[in-house]
Amino acid sequence: MRDSIYLAWRYLRHHRAKTLLLVLSLSLFLGLPLVMRAMSRATQQSLISRAESTPLLLGKKGSSLDLVVEALYFQLKNVEPITEADVDAMHATGLALGIPIRMGLSARNFPLVGTSLDYFPFRGLRIAAGRELAIMGECVLGAQAAETLGLGPGDALLTSPSTLFDLAGVYPLKLHVVGVLEPSYGPDDEAVFVDLKTAWVGEGLGHGHEDVARAGPDVVLKRQDGAVTANAKLVQYNEVTESNLDSFHFHGDRSTYPVTAVIVVPHDEKAGVLLRGRFVDAPTRQLLRPAQVVDSLNKQIFRFERVLQIVVWTVGLATTLMFVLVMVLSWRLRAEELRMMTRLGCSRWKAGQIMGSEIAIMVSASVVVAVGFGILIAQFGETWLQNLILRGS
Amino acid sequence: MRMRSRARVLPIVTLVLTVSLACSRKAPPEAALDSKHPDSSSIYAVNYPLFYFAERMVAASVRVVFPVPEGIDPAFWKPSAEAVREYQKASLILLNGAGYARWTRYSTLPQARIVITAKGCRDAFLSSEETAQHQHGPEGEHAHAGLAFTTWLDFRLAVCQAAHIRDALVERWPEEKANIASEFESLERDLLDLDQRMREVGKAMRDQPLLASHPVYAYLADAYGLSIESLHLEPDQVLSEDDWREIDALRTQHHARRMLWEAPPLEATESGLIARGLTSLVFDPAARRPSEGDFMAAMKANVDRLECATGIKECR
Repeated sequence: MRDSIYLAWRYLRHHRAKTLLLVLSLSLFLGLPLVMRAMSRATQQSLISRAESTPLLLGKKGSSLDLVVEALYFQLKNVEPITEADVDAMHATGLALGIPIRMGLSARNFPLVGTSLDYFPFRGLRIAAGRELAIMGECVLGAQAAETLGLGPGDALLTSPSTLFDLAGVYPLKLHVVGVLEPSYGPDDEAVFVDLKTAWVGEGLGHGHEDVARAGPDVVLKRQDGAVTANAKLVQYNEVTESNLDSFHFHGDRSTYPVTAVIVVPHDEKAGVLLRGRFVDAPTRQLLRPAQVVDSLNKQIFRFERVLQIVVWTVGLATTLMFVLVMVLSWRLRAEELRMMTRLGCSRWKAGQIMGSEIAIMVSASVVVAVGFGILIAQFGETWLQNLILRGS
Repeated sequence: MRMRSRARVLPIVTLVLTVSLACSRKAPPEAALDSKHPDSSSIYAVNYPLFYFAERMVAASVRVVFPVPEGIDPAFWKPSAEAVREYQKASLILLNGAGYARWTRYSTLPQARIVITAKGCRDAFLSSEETAQHQHGPEGEHAHAGLAFTTWLDFRLAVCQAAHIRDALVERWPEEKANIASEFESLERDLLDLDQRMREVGKAMRDQPLLASHPVYAYLADAYGLSIESLHLEPDQVLSEDDWREIDALRTQHHARRMLWEAPPLEATESGLIARGLTSLVFDPAARRPSEGDFMAAMKANVDRLECATGIKECR
C-alpha cells in the first residue's frame, strides 16, 4: 500500500499543473458550503448576541429593523429621532436605566456615536489606552477605528461636515482623542464615541463663541435694550479648549434635543414587563426587543442561505462530474503506461490501488485547503458579511 | 521515508485546522462594572451644603467627598479631567440643580448616578441678573441668562434637596433605610427651625430694604419676603471710587440701612458704610466649607445676626 501511495504521489508531483487544478476545483466545491455555513452562523451569532445583550430599545415609531440596525450596529439608516425628554422620562420611571444613542455624524468615515458614560460598562467596553470621556469635545476610539486612523490619546480628529456644499452649515468640530477601547470584536470597534453634548455641538445645536457683550464694534450690528446683535464676523469656536470651554452653550429647551434611540436596561424582569406594557399603545414611540427584530432578520438570512446551498450543491455536482471526467480521460491517456506496468509484473489490483491513491491524495489536499480557507473566511469575512447584510437590510 | 513522515503530518494538520476553526469564536468580553452600582462607596457633592446633608444622613462607612479646593467658589470651579474622573467613579453624584456648578454642563457624568437635588422643588427657579441678549447665526436672538442657584438659602427648599438625597441614599443602601430616615428627620427639624426663625426675621424686616454685596440671596429674599438689591463687591477687596458711587446711586432708590456680606468686609469698607448710615451684616451662604463649625452652625450664626439686627433677639 505504501508503495502505491508513493507511486501515486510521484505521479501527482510530476503532473503538478493538472493536480493543482483538480485540487483547487475540489477545494472550492468542498470549501464553499463550509465557508457559507461558518460565515452565516458566525454572523447570525454575532448579530443575535449583541441584540440579546440589549434588553429593550426605545425609538420613534417606524421601521423597527432600521432602528435596531442604527442604534446597535451603527449603520446609518436616518431613522427619525426621539428627544432627550424621552431619556429623562425613562429615568423618571425608576424602572430602568436609559442610555441615549445619537447617530448622524461621522469622523473620517467612522460613525460618531453620542452616548452617555453608562454605555461603556453596559457593553463591557474597557479602555486600552488613555482614559474615558470627561470633558465636552473629547472622543474615545474603538480599537479598529484607532488602528485604521493611526490615532491614539493626545491626537485630534475632525468630524466630517454633514453637508459638503452647505457653506452656511455646521463646521467640523475638532475632537480630542483621550482614549482607545480594547477590541470587542463588534460594531463598537469601528465607532468614535463622544458625549451626547459633544454630538449636539457637532450638529450645531450648541456652540461656543467670543463674548458678544465685550465684542468690538466691528462684530456688533446693534445694541438695544440689553440686546446685542452680532454679525457673521463673530468668531465661533470649532474646538473645545480649556480657555473657551465656558463659552459653549446650548439654546432652547434641551429636552427637545434629538436622540436616535435609548437603550433601556430595566432594573429587573418585572420592570421590563411594566415598561413594555406602557409602550404598547404609544402613538409615536416604540419600545422593542432587539433580539426579536434580529431573529426575524436571521430567518431571512437562513432562507437566503438555503437558496445559496442549492446553488452551491449544483456547482458541486458539476465539479464532481468534471473531476470524474478528467480522471477517466486521464486513465485513457495513461493506457500505455498501465500496460507497461502490467508487463513489468504489476497486477491490475495494484494498478487500481495506485489510481485510488492518487484520488485519495488529491481529495485530502482539497479538504485541507478548504478547511484553511474556511478558517480564514470565518476570521475575516464575518464583519464583511455583517456589514453587507446590515447595509442592505 | 520522506513520504511516510509527510503522510503522518497531513492528518495532524487537518485536525489542528479543524479544531482551530471550531474554536475561532471570539471570547466574550469580561463582565464590566455595573454602571448602577460601581464598586466604590463614595458620594461626591458639588457644594458644601449638599456634602453636609449627605454626611449627616449616610453611614460612616460611606465616604462623602467635596473635592473643590479651598478658596474656590464651587459654583465657578473648573475641574480638571482627573477631578471629573473622580466624580465619575462615585456611587452617587450630588448636583445642586438650578444651573449650579457650570462645569457639570460640559463634563461627562454617568446619568444613572446623578441626583439633581433641587429638581422638582420649585415650579421655576429664580433668574439671576441677565447678561446681554445677543443675536448671531440662524437661531436668532438669545440671552445667556442664568438662574439664581443658592437654593439652600430657602430652608424649605433645602429640606426638599435633603429629601432627594435621602431617597437616593435609601435606593443605594436600602439596608440603612431606618438610620437614613432618622437622620433626615433630625436634619429636617433643624432646617425647619431655621425656616421658622427666618420667617420671623422676614416679618420684622418687611419695610426695611437691604443691600447685598453679591447676588446670592435671591432665594433668601424670595422665601422670607426680604427686599434685597445686589451689587458685585468682594469683602476682602478695597472698594474703588466706582464701587462707592454705585452704592450711593443705589441708595438713592433703595433706602437700605443694612448690607449683607458673604464674609466680614475689610475694616475700611465697614467704616465707609457706617459713614453712609449702612450697617454690615454677615450672612454666609456656606457654599464653601466654613472656616469654623459646619453648615448648620454657619446658618444658625447667620440667623442669629439677623435676629439681633432686627431686635427679635436681645444681643450684646
